[in-house]
Amino acid sequence: MIRIENISKNMGEFFLKNVSLDVSVGEYLMILGPTGAGKTILLETIAGIYPPDKGKIYLNDRDITGLPPRKRNIGMVYQDFMLFPHLNVEKNIKYGMRSKKYSKQEVTEKVNKLADLLGISHLLNRHPGTLSGGEKQRIAIARALIMEPEVLLLDEPLSALDSETRAKLRKELRRIHSFTQTTMIHVTHSFDEAFLLGSRMAIMHNGEIVQAGKPIDVFRKPNSRLVAEFLGVTNVFKGESIINNGNSYINVDGLKITSTTARDGQIYASIRPEDIHVSLEPILSSARNSFQGEIQEISDAGMVLRITVDVGILFVAAITRRSFLDMGLKDGTKVFLTFKAADVHVF
Amino acid sequence: MKIVNRLLEKGFKIITMAFGLVLAFFIVVLLLGIVTHTTPQALLESLVSEEIRFAIRLSLITSVISTLFCILVSVPAAYALARYDFTGKTVLNTILDMPLALPPLVAGVGLLILFGTTSFGKGLSAYGIQFIFTPQGIILAQFFVNMPFMFRVMRSTFQGINPRYEYVAQTLGSTEGGAFWRVTLPMARNGLMAGSIITWCRGIGEFGAALMVAGSTRMQTETLPISLYLNMSTGELPLAIAAATILIVISIVSLFIFEKFSGFARVF
Repeated sequence: MIRIENISKNMGEFFLKNVSLDVSVGEYLMILGPTGAGKTILLETIAGIYPPDKGKIYLNDRDITGLPPRKRNIGMVYQDFMLFPHLNVEKNIKYGMRSKKYSKQEVTEKVNKLADLLGISHLLNRHPGTLSGGEKQRIAIARALIMEPEVLLLDEPLSALDSETRAKLRKELRRIHSFTQTTMIHVTHSFDEAFLLGSRMAIMHNGEIVQAGKPIDVFRKPNSRLVAEFLGVTNVFKGESIINNGNSYINVDGLKITSTTARDGQIYASIRPEDIHVSLEPILSSARNSFQGEIQEISDAGMVLRITVDVGILFVAAITRRSFLDMGLKDGTKVFLTFKAADVHVF
Repeated sequence: MKIVNRLLEKGFKIITMAFGLVLAFFIVVLLLGIVTHTTPQALLESLVSEEIRFAIRLSLITSVISTLFCILVSVPAAYALARYDFTGKTVLNTILDMPLALPPLVAGVGLLILFGTTSFGKGLSAYGIQFIFTPQGIILAQFFVNMPFMFRVMRSTFQGINPRYEYVAQTLGSTEGGAFWRVTLPMARNGLMAGSIITWCRGIGEFGAALMVAGSTRMQTETLPISLYLNMSTGELPLAIAAATILIVISIVSLFIFEKFSGFARVF
């Protein structure tokens, strides 16, 4: 539906280099990257704020590269909300309605419907300056959605919020997406967000898209060291958590991992390689997860080595050079991997 | 030595504050000296005299009109220089600030030459647009000398407004001009007020350039400062004091209003 072909844009400090992306109707695409990767310029270029130096943008097979923002029907929500401070909430939401041909009554109905959907009906007469971050972001979303955009661009929409509000609004975004079926492109630097919201994910670095795919695939099979290092977490699994007697048992492709989470249902779990203990014999400890498997791969990273072990699923564990040599590990050695339930990060 | 050092250390705050207080005292004494120079009765009589009433009216009319022109021209120019990057931007900025550093008398001479002696000026007066020795000349002089104040206040005001407000407005159906009109300009309201006040206040007090262009003819191009100048030179002290008093009152009131609105707009 929206196709970006070889877009380049140089803005000095920030730039885009040959960015290509294909987003299909109704998709929720996450763009993940560190600060300065060019994520915001990419969104602003898609919105039409700046013309790209090179490349084309197509919306429904129509070339929109040269169109001004107002003719694109693409909505934008910024991290800092950008609510117009001189207008009250209602006027903010219906700002864009002047360019559409609706009667006054229709506009009021639309505003009320959206305010209902986003739970901001009680704020309509207030001014943005008096509202909390979460409230402001809902209004910014409503203001963009009232235009019925074909694509909604979200530039770190949750970053300026406290963690509780962030979690709430994240759920809200998912609800809005399933309700409106609007195609969304959401920029973030948070892995959790990328996992929980994205049906697909693109990793951006230095103005380039370095990898794109399903979040779980990108996390498990980073195509370059750069991506692996940026993502940091290596052991990421999708599974189903079942709570039993206060414990959570996560079923990952038949393997049962014990964790301390209180969540059940479909979840993601990750274990840091440093938190996994490697031994030749089973060890007795308070750690409740212990699996046996064969070493598949050993990679040398200086003082610390990373070994990939197949215990039914692939785990990566980090061990010091000293213990690696002491145990005489090599490809195919059978080892035990042990880690605590508390070290299983669930999201 | 030690004792002197300790005294200096302890006294530093007191010494610096003393400088501020002496300076403030000096200013207040000076202003009070003007206002109390004649008897209150003579002051009141002069204030309602025909000449001073004329000067007040002329000052008000010319300063309001010149301020409007300053707004009309400075706002778009300030916006362009705050928002866009282009070659020659630094040079343009410097040139636009130029009248600020120029002595008003020099500006006045320049205006006199351009509008009085060149074919451009003569062409304008052939169409009935006459600046030399007319109230229009006062407006022109005020406009030229005070435009940089409006320009600078507006430029820093626009620089202080995140352009993303306009970007969002554009994704919501506005043209660039529409976004400016419906979002940026209302957000610049305080800067616009502060800039207008300071421009207007300076217009009221404009003397040198106006003198060059419009001359000092009693009851014709006699603004408050010109009236002050004329009456001082002819020894009509009560009239001169009356003009000065009004100028002082206007300055004080404007300063208060300016401070109220200039929260985020800085002139220098």
